Amino acid sequence: MKFEIEDVTVYFPYDNIYPEQYSYMVELKRALDARGHCLLEMPTGTGKTIALLSLITSYVLSKPQSPLKLVYCTRTVHEMEKTLAELKKLHDYQVKHLGPAARILAVGLSSRKNLCVNPRVLSAENRDSVDAGCRKLTASWVRALAEKNPGVPTCEFFEDYERAGSGAVLPPGVYTLQDLRAFGKQKGWCPYYLARHMVQLANVIVYSYQYLLDPKVAGIISKEMQRECVVVFDEAHNIDNVCIEALSVCVRRQTLEGATRNLHRMEQEIDRFKATDESRLRAEYQRLVEGLALRGDLRVNDTWLANPALPDDILKEAVPGNIRRADFFLRVLRRFVQYLKGRLETENVEKESPVAFVASVTNQAGIDQKTLKFCYDRLHSLMMTLEITDTDEFLHIQTICDFATLVGTYARGFSIIIEPFDERMPDVQDPVLQLSCHDASLAIKPVFDRFQTVVITSGTLSPIDLYPRLLNFNPVVSRSFTMSLTRDCICPMVLTRGSDQLPVSTKFDMRSDLSVVRNYGRLLLEMVSVVPDGIVCFFVSYSYMDEIVNSWNESGILKEIMQHKLVFIETQDVVETTLALDNYRRACDCGRGAVFFSVARGKVAEGIDFDRHYGRLVIMFGIPFQYTLSKILLARLEYLRDTFQIKEGDFLTFDALRQAAQCVGRVIRSKADYGMMIFADKRYSRHDKRSKLPGWILSHLRDAHLNLSTDMAVYIAREFLRKMAQPYDKAGSGGKKTLLSQEDIEKMGDGSLNDMLY
Amino acid sequence: MASAQVIKRAKYKTTVKDPGTAGVLKMAWDRFIFTPNHPNSASNLDVEFRFIKGHKNTKEGSNKPPWLNLTNDQGGSYIFEFESYPDLHTCRDFVGKSIGRSGETPTAASGKTDASLPDEQISTAELELRIKLLRENSELQKLHKQLVIGGILTEAEFWATRKKLLDRESSRKSKQRVGFKSAMISDIKPATDGRTNKVTFSLTPEVILQIFAEKPAVHAAFLKYVPNKMTEKDFWTKYFKAEYLHSTRNAVAAAAEAAEDEELAIFLRNDDILAKEARQKIRRVDPTVNMEADQGDDYMHLPDHGLFRDGGKDIIESQYELYRRTLAHDLNRHAAVVLEGRTVEVELEDTRTVAEALAKLKRVESANEDSDGTANQGILERIARITEIEDLQASHGPPLAPLCIKDPRDYFDSQQVIAVKAPAAEGKKCNLSSREAYGSLRDSISQTKQMGLLNPVVKTKDALQVFNALSHDISRTKYDVGKNPQDSVLDKLPSTTKEQLLHHWTSIQELLRHFWSSYPITSSYLYAKVNRLKDAMSQIYPQLEVCSLLIS
Repeated sequence: MKFEIEDVTVYFPYDNIYPEQYSYMVELKRALDARGHCLLEMPTGTGKTIALLSLITSYVLSKPQSPLKLVYCTRTVHEMEKTLAELKKLHDYQVKHLGPAARILAVGLSSRKNLCVNPRVLSAENRDSVDAGCRKLTASWVRALAEKNPGVPTCEFFEDYERAGSGAVLPPGVYTLQDLRAFGKQKGWCPYYLARHMVQLANVIVYSYQYLLDPKVAGIISKEMQRECVVVFDEAHNIDNVCIEALSVCVRRQTLEGATRNLHRMEQEIDRFKATDESRLRAEYQRLVEGLALRGDLRVNDTWLANPALPDDILKEAVPGNIRRADFFLRVLRRFVQYLKGRLETENVEKESPVAFVASVTNQAGIDQKTLKFCYDRLHSLMMTLEITDTDEFLHIQTICDFATLVGTYARGFSIIIEPFDERMPDVQDPVLQLSCHDASLAIKPVFDRFQTVVITSGTLSPIDLYPRLLNFNPVVSRSFTMSLTRDCICPMVLTRGSDQLPVSTKFDMRSDLSVVRNYGRLLLEMVSVVPDGIVCFFVSYSYMDEIVNSWNESGILKEIMQHKLVFIETQDVVETTLALDNYRRACDCGRGAVFFSVARGKVAEGIDFDRHYGRLVIMFGIPFQYTLSKILLARLEYLRDTFQIKEGDFLTFDALRQAAQCVGRVIRSKADYGMMIFADKRYSRHDKRSKLPGWILSHLRDAHLNLSTDMAVYIAREFLRKMAQPYDKAGSGGKKTLLSQEDIEKMGDGSLNDMLY
Repeated sequence: MASAQVIKRAKYKTTVKDPGTAGVLKMAWDRFIFTPNHPNSASNLDVEFRFIKGHKNTKEGSNKPPWLNLTNDQGGSYIFEFESYPDLHTCRDFVGKSIGRSGETPTAASGKTDASLPDEQISTAELELRIKLLRENSELQKLHKQLVIGGILTEAEFWATRKKLLDRESSRKSKQRVGFKSAMISDIKPATDGRTNKVTFSLTPEVILQIFAEKPAVHAAFLKYVPNKMTEKDFWTKYFKAEYLHSTRNAVAAAAEAAEDEELAIFLRNDDILAKEARQKIRRVDPTVNMEADQGDDYMHLPDHGLFRDGGKDIIESQYELYRRTLAHDLNRHAAVVLEGRTVEVELEDTRTVAEALAKLKRVESANEDSDGTANQGILERIARITEIEDLQASHGPPLAPLCIKDPRDYFDSQQVIAVKAPAAEGKKCNLSSREAYGSLRDSISQTKQMGLLNPVVKTKDALQVFNALSHDISRTKYDVGKNPQDSVLDKLPSTTKEQLLHHWTSIQELLRHFWSSYPITSSYLYAKVNRLKDAMSQIYPQLEVCSLLIS
């Protein structure tokens, strides 16, 4: 359908539209007009992604003179694929209605591992080996060598791409990773470098958060983006965690040992170069004096990492004199590693601020703050000079330099915590030195500064006023939408007791109680016999899931469950989990029905949808609190209290409840879909916990469903499923329309629409 | 009638275990007589064939002696052991004929709905199938009762025209394959005798197949070691030892045991073949659930990157990872195998054959996968379908399963109602004025004047179409007539009469079919049959007359 929002003609690839999608677009347009940032919460299952995509693309189409570009960030690759699939549909629709003028170029960007088509490189196991394998074939010095000596292997895809030169472009269209690979194979061009090149020209770029937030990656990929960009962070409820992770580093014994080995090898290399090709080392020295670091004269395939999060002076300043010479720099690093080794030998937990840490480094190892700050760039310059291609072997020393640079750069918002062992396993010595970032705004600051509009959106951003504080920005639009439902197609319940009326909870002191384990088991068993197709269960942690599933297995409950549905489990092994998930879907597709056991903070909870028959019921066993005794968490809480006046308890509850809401929120895909949600813990019935749930769940949580026992829940589930099986009027009845047609949109001006909505 | 009499030496046994009484068996056309060699023996027999309901005999080549077993209608049986198989066969053939003859005479009919007929050898399975068909279809049952029990048709004749029905039933049955059980193999609990520490596992071929399917390493090891290196029993002993070690969840002990015994280590270690398979499968996984791709994209997974012990993550023990197998892993694997279903077609008898058949199947599968290029396209289409928001647009032809109509009458009734309503609705719509109608008529006349009459007036194709449609309806009339409340003459009749009429109609149809299928009459048997049919039909006519009298 086609309609007007103020001066923009919006092309929307469906015949109807939800009213909340419409008002979402209106708000979004306001933010685009104002060239400011915005924060939008809209329940899952109301078509956020498509609303967002069609408004922004239509906005660009209606203003052909503006060079506005859309940068869409997803958390995971599979979400990226979904987004691109929706964009494809939209693009087809727009081209159909507007002709070739509507053609855009949209690419998904991922790492070499997901884009490489060279079978030799691809045979490597993990990302780093693929990266290194690629570099071995494409680095400039390798190619220079190959020119002289045809025996040196190169990558034919990269060579062909280079040969095509500026002619190597993607024709307009929407390219998923799969499409890029297919295109690359067909043309014989390397899809990875092609995609990276096209990022500069594309109208829409879809990639993962890290490409903007992680300074190590953002430098290569995103540094040349213009200011006229709309940056969208989808599913952004965890964005603060992503930000702080991006700037955190941990150092363990293995790291230091590896780093020592790395240093040893680099020393050998330097000696070799000194004997054969000293001019190269001297040239590097010259470059560093000029402060060029790595920029300008290096080719695209050699580019290392740069640091937009770091202050600009690094780029302009000359590298300090004491580390310009390669062997001096290695000596500095050696001293630093030695110092860290000494720090790790502690018996007690230590916590320090970066300032104190740098002071003690200066005192004991004689390395000053400025030197530390330049470590990262200096290392990469050195590795490039030494023509090191097996970069995956050098991860440890990179980590150390990363650490040094961060410590040297930031004086606040961080702390250094040294722990001799994990409290949960006090007998296993595993000392860790953790540089942990507490301030999420540090990583995201350059993004807010550089781009015109940043949209942060998710199904769960409650309380919505907390996010601007955590991320330190001023949104021009900040809104939370409710969901207008045609029928009560979601059914949240709080289950506090088992059928024997004993309370259930994952509170630490009672989670292993036999009665709790049994009652949880009976709940699931009752539900698998009532609910059709797919059921998803979330547990608070892997260890708890392991424990409870094992005890269900021993008591025979698991066997009974398996008589109704197949059982699949998320494990820490991603490959296995992916296959289990794929099988789970097939079991639901073929009507066999299945249960999926998952973990609330695991990979599955992060972005897999359990919509339609893939999830008719979600059971959240317990409240997914973080492990509150963690020193890092405590340090962060302290920082939040001191800086933002957020109480520890409030933050913990907020964090746990957004996690829970995220888990259960994945059952709904559209208003025609339906699903039940069971919060199985007595603590959910308390107001202070419950009220942190997003509004669209709360509004469907009836008072009668706040304190249920298993048998009551089963009864409600039966009734609910029966009701959902009845035919209904999709457009909604009574005064409230839940589905707008072209006519409805045209009939009402903005004013009357708002009347209808609220 | 070939030979009117057969005389053979045989032993008569009252039960299978009875050593038997030697004597002479003499079969005449209506009875058989057994005379023991020993005149004092009590087992003198003289039985008429009409009391014999069926016969069985041992097969040649089986290691049993040539026995013939005749069952009488009281459920008892007479067993004769012959000296040789040719003797047995001669007697069996003779008995077959004799029983058939006695069955033809209506004396055997006794009014009970016993579906079996003495004149043919039918297996119990087929018998059950017939009974099932009769039970499911009341119309058929009625017909059967009237015609077969009534003695007009024999059982064989009745079913001969319904071979299709029988075939379909039986083929459907054989196609259903049994899948794996939902229960895990680890649920096989060992049996203990309570006194010693020994435990016993009982393995069936089915369980073995499941073990092989779920654990390719065990399967490979079996093919490799059995029977060259160890016996099957040793193999399974080792296997269960390994299972026991797993169940203790003591990774250290498992590692220690594995170090000592290399074969045991195979069972204890993680399955390499599985890991390889997984890597292969992951390439074909739906990209919208592929979390493995994240790992390639996620810079957070770098070692020593991010927060290590922030409380959100779990602790992982990496020690002895090689020998640690979790319940979760087993569950996933088990569910995957159950979902795939059992694909081995061989009879589950011998472990070796099972193992080999499975190996063969795997090779075929992997060959298929290599050549499978269209899978990606399918995945893409599926994603496109899934990403759509279903209620925002009109559904485009949902993939409906074809309707299976159990009772055709219901279906055609509903169709007819629609068909009848449709023209009526149209009639309401067009309210042309007489003037317009006249105008149109005049136009068409003038048109005809100009063009001349088409010759022929109706195109053959159209005519054929109409004819087909009409005759198609005729074949359906049975269903249309008699059920539709508005349109049928029959509905003016009382329901009992209507039922009766319909019943007569079906039976006449059946009789006519048999009647015409008997022509040309080439044997006395057919002549008799035609006569019977003719009589039966003539009996129906007066009944119809009675009906009509009752109504009027």
